[in-house]
Amino acid sequence: MSAPVSVTVPAALRPQVEGQETVSAPGATVGEVLCGLREQYPAFGEKLFPNGGEQINRSINIYVNEEDIRFLDNFGTPVTDKDQVDIILAIAGG
Amino acid sequence: MNQNLPKPLADALTDEERATYEWQMWSPGFGEEGQRRLKNSTVLISRCGGLGSVVAYELAAAGVGHLVIAHGGVVKHSDLNRQLLMTHAWLGKPRIETIERRLKDLNPRLKITPIGENISDDNAAELVGLADVVVDAAPMFQERFAMNDQAVAQGKPMVECAMYDLEATITTLAPGGGPCLRCLVPEVPPAWKRRFPVFGAVSGTVGCMGAMEAVKLLSGLGEPLFGRMIRLNLREMRVRTVKTYADPACGMCGRHNPA
Repeated sequence: MSAPVSVTVPAALRPQVEGQETVSAPGATVGEVLCGLREQYPAFGEKLFPNGGEQINRSINIYVNEEDIRFLDNFGTPVTDKDQVDIILAIAGG
Repeated sequence: MNQNLPKPLADALTDEERATYEWQMWSPGFGEEGQRRLKNSTVLISRCGGLGSVVAYELAAAGVGHLVIAHGGVVKHSDLNRQLLMTHAWLGKPRIETIERRLKDLNPRLKITPIGENISDDNAAELVGLADVVVDAAPMFQERFAMNDQAVAQGKPMVECAMYDLEATITTLAPGGGPCLRCLVPEVPPAWKRRFPVFGAVSGTVGCMGAMEAVKLLSGLGEPLFGRMIRLNLREMRVRTVKTYADPACGMCGRHNPA
């Protein structure tokens, strides 16, 4: 089984992960890690993948070691426990 | 990158301007030439709330010659934790009036074009057309997209500032190659609300960074945040930088800047 991969959670989604800055789940790809997090934190999973679907919330971009996974292999992007995964949610001013 | 930037030199500085700006003119790579470029520059800021107030105040202090500021409504109590150009004495009065008054108190040489309404699809083309640089500090994505779409169409750089709780993000969008806002946020986030948790120190932090980006773009100083986004986490005091790319499928910049 893969070692857990750390994922940083934006402030607006922390209520769905018990207030944690970072969560982790095992997986060899970004998709597997997110699936693991979806199982651990169903409300968080719903924010990532609305209506129980497979399409990522379009307000969210995911980065592995600073790179946007849309320009890598998307959810198939390989990860290990040495990688840093960041979730960035669109926010605005005020 | 906009071929009109950095800005051409304005007329020579006055003795008063030299005395006012000497500390920043000592910065390597800026000097009196940089100051003259700022003097010859116009920046659009919308809105001028927690983020935009600080951007505007810093740019007024830095000696940018002309600010175009769009902000509707009247001052409310809930503005006063972060919107540093609003004052208790101005409660119930138009925000744009106190914005103009307080900026002029700081820098009476500053030219201000005050717009007492928020930016929209109706006024964005004209207001962006006045500016060399756009600073997006608006709370609603409809306003942000209105500025973005005109910045792309008119080839203007846009500094993109945002915040939530103790977090903030900032990037600078270069016309003609880098990503536009719609590459990063393809549609209005359905869950986003105009009112959200935030401290004035958070908006102030990212507002100062946004002002610095504008100064750099206008003067040619340093390295703007093209192709990079900084995410500030002031709760745990961590800073991350991620890379940003133009989305070839983007319906906005893809149309204006075909590969």
